[in-house]
Amino acid sequence: MKQFISLLITSLNVNFGISALRYRFTKEKKHLWEPILIGLSIILGGGSIIALYTVFLQGVYKGGQMLNSPELVLLIAILACQFMVFIFGIFYVISAFYFSNDIDLLVPLPLKPYHILASKFIIIMVNEYLVAWPVLLPAIIIYGTGMRPGLMYWLKSLLVLLLTPVIPLVLVSIFVLILMRVVSIRKNRDVLVVLGSLLGLLLGLTINYFAQKLPEGNSQQFIQDMIVARADVIKLIGQRVPPSTWATYGLAMQTLEGWMYFILYLLISLTLFGLLMWLGNLFFYKGLLAGQEVNRGRKKLSAQSINAQLEKASSPVIALFLKEWKLFLRTPVYAMNGLAGMIMVPFLILMPFIARAEEMKALLTQIRQPQFAMQVTLGSAGLVLFASSINIVACTSISREGKTFWISKMIPVPARQQVTAKLLHSMAISGIGVVVTTAVIGIALKLSIIRMFTIFILCLLGNVLLNALNLLIDLLHPRLEWDNPQEAVKQNLNGLFSILFTLAVLALSAILTALLVQLRASEWIIHAALGLTMGFLAIPTLAILYTLAESQYRRLEA
Amino acid sequence: MLRISNLSKSYNRGAVKAVDGLSLHVKPGEIFGFLGPNGAGKTTTIKMIVGLLNPDEGSIIVNGYDNQKNPIEAKKSIGYVPDNPVVYDNLTGMEYLNFMADIYQVPVTLRKERINYFLEMFDLTDAAGDLIKSYSHGMKQKIALAGALLHNPALWIMDEPMVGLDPKSSHLLKELMRQHCQKGNTVFFSTHILEVAERLCDRIGIIHRGKLIAVGTLDELRRGEQSETLENIFLELTEQ
Ligand SMILES: Nc1ncnc2c1ncn2[C@@H]1O[C@H](COP(=O)(O)OP(=O)(O)OP(=O)(O)O)[C@@H](O)[C@H]1O
Ligand SMILES: [Mg+2]
Repeated sequence: MKQFISLLITSLNVNFGISALRYRFTKEKKHLWEPILIGLSIILGGGSIIALYTVFLQGVYKGGQMLNSPELVLLIAILACQFMVFIFGIFYVISAFYFSNDIDLLVPLPLKPYHILASKFIIIMVNEYLVAWPVLLPAIIIYGTGMRPGLMYWLKSLLVLLLTPVIPLVLVSIFVLILMRVVSIRKNRDVLVVLGSLLGLLLGLTINYFAQKLPEGNSQQFIQDMIVARADVIKLIGQRVPPSTWATYGLAMQTLEGWMYFILYLLISLTLFGLLMWLGNLFFYKGLLAGQEVNRGRKKLSAQSINAQLEKASSPVIALFLKEWKLFLRTPVYAMNGLAGMIMVPFLILMPFIARAEEMKALLTQIRQPQFAMQVTLGSAGLVLFASSINIVACTSISREGKTFWISKMIPVPARQQVTAKLLHSMAISGIGVVVTTAVIGIALKLSIIRMFTIFILCLLGNVLLNALNLLIDLLHPRLEWDNPQEAVKQNLNGLFSILFTLAVLALSAILTALLVQLRASEWIIHAALGLTMGFLAIPTLAILYTLAESQYRRLEA
Repeated sequence: MLRISNLSKSYNRGAVKAVDGLSLHVKPGEIFGFLGPNGAGKTTTIKMIVGLLNPDEGSIIVNGYDNQKNPIEAKKSIGYVPDNPVVYDNLTGMEYLNFMADIYQVPVTLRKERINYFLEMFDLTDAAGDLIKSYSHGMKQKIALAGALLHNPALWIMDEPMVGLDPKSSHLLKELMRQHCQKGNTVFFSTHILEVAERLCDRIGIIHRGKLIAVGTLDELRRGEQSETLENIFLELTEQ
């Protein structure tokens, strides 16, 4: 146990860079304003999102009260939280279990496999709190201040805050343990890992979707029934995801029954955790050690094939672009994170059509009517822009170089050309995202070719702007010190900034559209105005990016 | 070929002075050995020459180009192998070499010839199609060495190049260094292996606490006492 505790403390220290931070401010004497500025922008950006979310929850709470189920707000928050933990978890777990470099250090130590597994699990839990708490806390506070359920409520909610990530994370971890065990024997392991985890993600989303599906039938009727009959909404929704119901009841009911639910929830969490540890003891090292092997000696190159590969010379920019592309696709964490958005968003759009074909038909015929054409086009463009820009390609493109950054500093290629290669690479990934999502949405909504083309152009322009902004933020503030590729993308603040940029551009477009609609501008004028705005904003951003490139590359030491 | 004047660099905002007023001139066709105790400032100096670190003071002229004012031209003249070469793990050896050839704009016929030559020489032909992350430490070092030489750099800079190489490879490396100089190029490397420095280098510089405390041919360093080994000279000079 003592061993485990010190392993855990060391891992926590490394994960949050506590010693490194202390060194930075005591020894290196880095500027203090930097972290303060970053902290402020996180509070502002994150705060505004949380504020919006709180307003939404308050609506849910009021609605719940009308339905005589004020605890609806708790249920929604717990479900949302578990859902997010699940999505983030898949990436965290794979990279922390199998792709982190400290594994080499840890395995030779006299520790049991489950020690390592448990310490990694707890680290991931702590990271997930950063996602989970902003989702849970507002709901707990809204319910607690509204219903005044007493002291026990607050004590129990502390436990819920601590435990909510456990169940989804254990499920993800078990999935990953099995995935790695299966995949480790095969060739092309990295590709299989990416595909497997994306599959797991889709599977999880599908299950989630079906599990939360309301009973078939007319939804209007259903809600009326519920109000009239005072039917138990909580039971209906939570039916298929019992743990969230237990947590909700356990929190909300201060009776003996409430305690039963609460204890049930605790027990299930602990049992699942135990199961994971047991499986870990069986599987963890096997998958892990197999994972250390890289395919070698598979194909020996003949003299001819060597020369064939050397037949083509490229310009430095093209060579850098190809390098970026290969490294991106061949590093599972990068590929997963970069491609997840453009796979998930179309999937989430298609899901309802598959799951509830009947009801959707009615909705579709509504949507496809010509008077909604503009709203549908712009709405789709917003979705496509979101899906294609939430990849972390541009905002981590310098961070990802990490310990190989010396090569970029050493080579006789001007920083501008290096930035150009990175911009091309991120535009290529975003471009694929735009094409895929536009096609899926266009076909699902039967949009005309000209509208699909409009969406394509608008989103491409939007992505030029966003990728330039994302590259700029990474250029100004790269995270080059990392041992494990997952730190470069997941534990990188630039990812957060990138999402905020996307939201800002979407908000700006929405405001502009609303203004133009007020002025009774025609549809195509609105499209043109949006496109021009993106274009005009992109020009100064690119100018700043290229102006700063040279001096920033020089300033970053390797 | 390489002219360093009054070079200074400190870390942690002046708390650690790593290189202190260093001046040095390395001539074309010379093999120059850079010696010094741990933490003396060798790596720091080398990193400033190749442009990884910015000097606080002083200038560095490589092949006639100031590496602050004209960094691209200076870099074109340099081939650099760091002490612990971390290269792109997820490229194959072949892809890495081809990438370097593209970056340094080596024409197709020349790159074919040289890549084949180095792969053959370092026994990497069989591994060339595999990802670099599957390589052993020494193999990674050799692929980095090959990558640094594809453009036949006027100045070849290495930081402790022998560490981690097997006897045959380090023998080959020494041969390569000689050949490189015979073509009129310059080699600059840091090392802790005094016998190598003794036998290979035309001139030797010793750095201690950031300052160059001795420079010259072996004979000049001996100051007439023919029996002195480099080891004794080194130990005496870096005593305090
Ligand atoms: N990144 C850094 N941050 C702070 N101090 C550093 C850093 N790198 C080097 N130093 C300090 O600079 C001084 C010179 O280090 P340098 O790496 O140049 O020595 P070296 O001669 O290469 O030593 P070795 O023979 O051990 O490789 C040392 O005192 C070292 O502690
Ligand atoms: Mg050194």
